[in-house]
Amino acid sequence: MNSAPVIRPASGEKVTLTYWAWLKDLQNVCDIWNAKNPNVQVNAVWIPGGNGGGYQKMHSALAAGGGPDLAQIELRTIPEFMLVNGLVDLARYGAKDYADRFDKTLWGQVSFVDGVYGIPQDSGPMGLYYRPDLLQKVGADAPKTWDDWAATAAELRKAKIYIDCFPLADPSWFTAVATQAGASWLKVDGDSWTINMTDDATLNTARFFDKAIDKDLVTTAYAGFSTPWFAAAAADNIATLTSASWGDALLEGVSGGKGKWRVAAMPTWPKGGYGSSYIGGSTAAVLANSKHPKEALEFAIWMQTSKEGIDALIKNCGIGWSPDRDYIGKQREQPSAFFGGQNYNEEVFLPATHEQNPDWSWWPITQQSFNILADGFRKKSSGGTLVDAVAQAEKNIITAFRNKGLSIRKVES
Amino acid sequence: MTSTVSATRTRTPSSSLRGKSQHRKRMWAPWALLGPFLLLFILTFALPIIIAIGESFTKVTRHGIFGEKGVTTEFAWFSNYAQALANGNFIASIGRMLLFGVVQVTVMIAACTVLALLLESASARWPGFFRAAYFLPYGIPGVIATILWSFLYVPGLSPLIDIAGMFRIQLDFLGAGTVLWSIANIVTWTYTGYNMLIIVAQLKAIPTDVYEAAKVDGAGPWRVARSIQLPLIRPALVLTTVFSIIGTLQLFAEPQVLQSVAPAIDSEYTPNLSAYTTAFAYNDYNVAAAQAVLIAAVAFILSFTFLRLTNRSSK
Repeated sequence: MNSAPVIRPASGEKVTLTYWAWLKDLQNVCDIWNAKNPNVQVNAVWIPGGNGGGYQKMHSALAAGGGPDLAQIELRTIPEFMLVNGLVDLARYGAKDYADRFDKTLWGQVSFVDGVYGIPQDSGPMGLYYRPDLLQKVGADAPKTWDDWAATAAELRKAKIYIDCFPLADPSWFTAVATQAGASWLKVDGDSWTINMTDDATLNTARFFDKAIDKDLVTTAYAGFSTPWFAAAAADNIATLTSASWGDALLEGVSGGKGKWRVAAMPTWPKGGYGSSYIGGSTAAVLANSKHPKEALEFAIWMQTSKEGIDALIKNCGIGWSPDRDYIGKQREQPSAFFGGQNYNEEVFLPATHEQNPDWSWWPITQQSFNILADGFRKKSSGGTLVDAVAQAEKNIITAFRNKGLSIRKVES
Repeated sequence: MTSTVSATRTRTPSSSLRGKSQHRKRMWAPWALLGPFLLLFILTFALPIIIAIGESFTKVTRHGIFGEKGVTTEFAWFSNYAQALANGNFIASIGRMLLFGVVQVTVMIAACTVLALLLESASARWPGFFRAAYFLPYGIPGVIATILWSFLYVPGLSPLIDIAGMFRIQLDFLGAGTVLWSIANIVTWTYTGYNMLIIVAQLKAIPTDVYEAAKVDGAGPWRVARSIQLPLIRPALVLTTVFSIIGTLQLFAEPQVLQSVAPAIDSEYTPNLSAYTTAFAYNDYNVAAAQAVLIAAVAFILSFTFLRLTNRSSK
């Protein structure tokens, strides 16, 4: 499909684009575009979120030779859709001309070999949400390094408070923290994939949290933003949460939490690594059977990089961090009442976007790899270690790649 | 539709030597009546099964970094089955369901039998009310039931855990060792009333003269239950047990929903969850089809074995 001739833009006649996404009220955003572009009308259709049913729907549509023009696909899922030849290479329609409008790290995550396979829509730079009142109890401030974090956690345990939770069942958090330390697990090298999950950055991160869990510094009973987590947070049993920028909206769901939380920079690793990391983030991708890829690309660029598009996406859909290099959105330039008047977006998350690991790239079986990793992490509760889990996961991921017929080899750091 | 039409057409000439029009009408009627059923049966049942079996013997191989250098589809013999069986999580999920079945089905069948006998005993008060009350949970969809129960399982929300905590008892409903039985509890709560109703129906079918004869012979309620009711509801018990065995292997909604609050439930906790994950998260429909065929085979073997055992012991 990406070797077939480029489809030329429609000249003159009216074009209707269909856009599948799980963002709420997306049509309101499209309507702003529609009013200005009578010849390219965009019709938003709501689908269930990602692995909750949306991707299944897209895969079925692609298999049947149909599907929408545009679809919301998470950054980490882009390669999975490339594997079924489901995405249009937008570089062939001039996407690279817009590269300098986007955050470099995110643009890197939609670029593979010479192509561009999605237009970044939002992301989740990470920071540390914390409760000054609870940290005060043990005379601590927001921890600046992970060592500080561990020391504060030990003090908090004496007051029966956990500093945070460690999600065993969802390794995306561990992955984000290892990425911060400098890990870069999979890469394309010529005709083959290379994997390296046993580098120092990953193993040191695993060792650090092995120790933290063994010493009961973090709880593994639940993950952030799960029902039990909200109950624990409301009961003042959780002092901090290292999470993505989109966590702010979720945090507002903690009952009685207003005014109690603040945001600080993510704790850092002693040597090497980056100031922050990222969890989540999605793109607007053009699906393989679109008849109007050029128009779809133009709409996506308008939506993600124009001020009115970004503001409308934040207001109507509550998207995560805008991928635009220069504009974070009007709403986010203002202080927040929930965070006690702190102007945390400009103060914490904006600088965080400049301190992310730019080398990370996703791979075609990300979801399966995360499940493999989670299977290993769950053994932690019965005596296993995260270090062993990572090493074993690397072997299983290699097998899973080969079962798909993809070539992969292990490289040493 | 095509198959029904062609079936009618091929049959008519051979058997329409005399009374042509009348005969044709008679031949046509059963097919017309069966048509809607057959159409749905073939399209939504027979065809998917055939396609799934076909898929389970197919393998798709991609070349290059993203399959850009070509995709080959070939007949793979049993390699998908080998891959499914080599997956430790899938085998573990079947083992888990066997353990679950042995405990949960036994408890549930015993409970529903006792309830049915109590409700049908002569001294039962308001049997109609209690029958409806016990049956009520079945009317609540599994997903909703799981959400309801999860509020009793989650620490910080559950009054049960709080009360136990007052007596210094640590309850953990969602731990790696306990969550399976928390699911069993939800399943038992949902289906006991339903199975009870099947047994009650069978109990009601016992002729009253059998009871009268027993009374004349001086049998008390215990004796009636043991020697008359239990042997006569045997077919209902066998039926409910077989349904429960099949239902156990197909467990899906409860663990899927509970997953969000119980980190111990992995993406391949039950055989059906495993097949679902393989198909829709890993996009590997071929191995998923092989898993589905294997699950069906295990359900068939278990049900058949159970029927064999009960038939033998009754002889």
